[in-house]
Amino acid sequence: MNNNEKNKEDILRQYISVEKIEKAPEGFTSKVMTRVMLETIPSMAAERRWKRYLVPVISACVTVLLIVSAFLIPAGQSDAPATSVIKFFKSITASMPEVSLSSIFHLTIPSVTMYVIVGIFILTLFDRALYGIFKR
Amino acid sequence: MDYKGDIFYIEQILAGNINAFSYIVDRHKNKAYNLSFRICGNHEVAEELTQDSFLKAYRSLRNFKMKSSFATWLYRIVYNTTISYVRIKKKGVLSLEDFPADATDFIGNSTSEEEAEREYRNSLINFALQKINDEERGLISLFYYEEMSTDEISDVTGISKSNIKVKLFRARQKMIEIIEKVEKKKLIYHE
Repeated sequence: MNNNEKNKEDILRQYISVEKIEKAPEGFTSKVMTRVMLETIPSMAAERRWKRYLVPVISACVTVLLIVSAFLIPAGQSDAPATSVIKFFKSITASMPEVSLSSIFHLTIPSVTMYVIVGIFILTLFDRALYGIFKR
Repeated sequence: MDYKGDIFYIEQILAGNINAFSYIVDRHKNKAYNLSFRICGNHEVAEELTQDSFLKAYRSLRNFKMKSSFATWLYRIVYNTTISYVRIKKKGVLSLEDFPADATDFIGNSTSEEEAEREYRNSLINFALQKINDEERGLISLFYYEEMSTDEISDVTGISKSNIKVKLFRARQKMIEIIEKVEKKKLIYHE
């Protein structure tokens, strides 16, 4: 920078005071935040609507799929596409440990209780997993 | 309140805490507003454009690369928004007659003579800024008011460093000429 240029810059600096910056008017932040909120709410509502319908839609699809597959698998036909899968599930023999609660509580508990408890436990886990997925 | 960097609040916003954006606005509003005002020269328009810029920044916050400075990124948005606006809404050229001749014209709004002199100088600078072109106005604002280096100005405007130096030199020369003309007019007014 030559002397002439330096001199010009000095003159300009005399006139420009950094303290004299124009400040944003009162309520500026709240005005911006109102506009931000207005913009965010519709998109959030749309997202919530999408999430609200997602679970019923999936359940409906699964139900329809099950009904359709029930019609597609003819009874007793061994070469049907899903027969081997059904056979596999049929071959699974679940057995639960026998717990004799009657000796502890002096109560007669039906043998199905253990299955119910395990079922509730599995459903709870499933519910938690679904909650985790859809909450995100 | 503890000082937390812009990145902290940006992460909060991206995690869903929209209110954290108010900290960002509070921190940068004055400098952003000043930049917009110096370029467009109108308070109402500057407020609208600065609000628009903050909204644009909010919308594209996901595109912001955390490695760079948020302030520079935000000023780029303010600069581009304001420049685009003034280019569309070209104003008529101001004449020297539009500017009051003396600091005494400002005394009514000021508490002291010293304050009036400051107001006069500030108005004179605003007047001179309005006489140069949009781009030069932006560069002068960034260099003198935001006190940015030519490297930072280059990041904000996208103009090369050497070109910024040339443009700043020309803008400075034009402004000095305008200021000198007004000051001459002031002398004639007093004679």
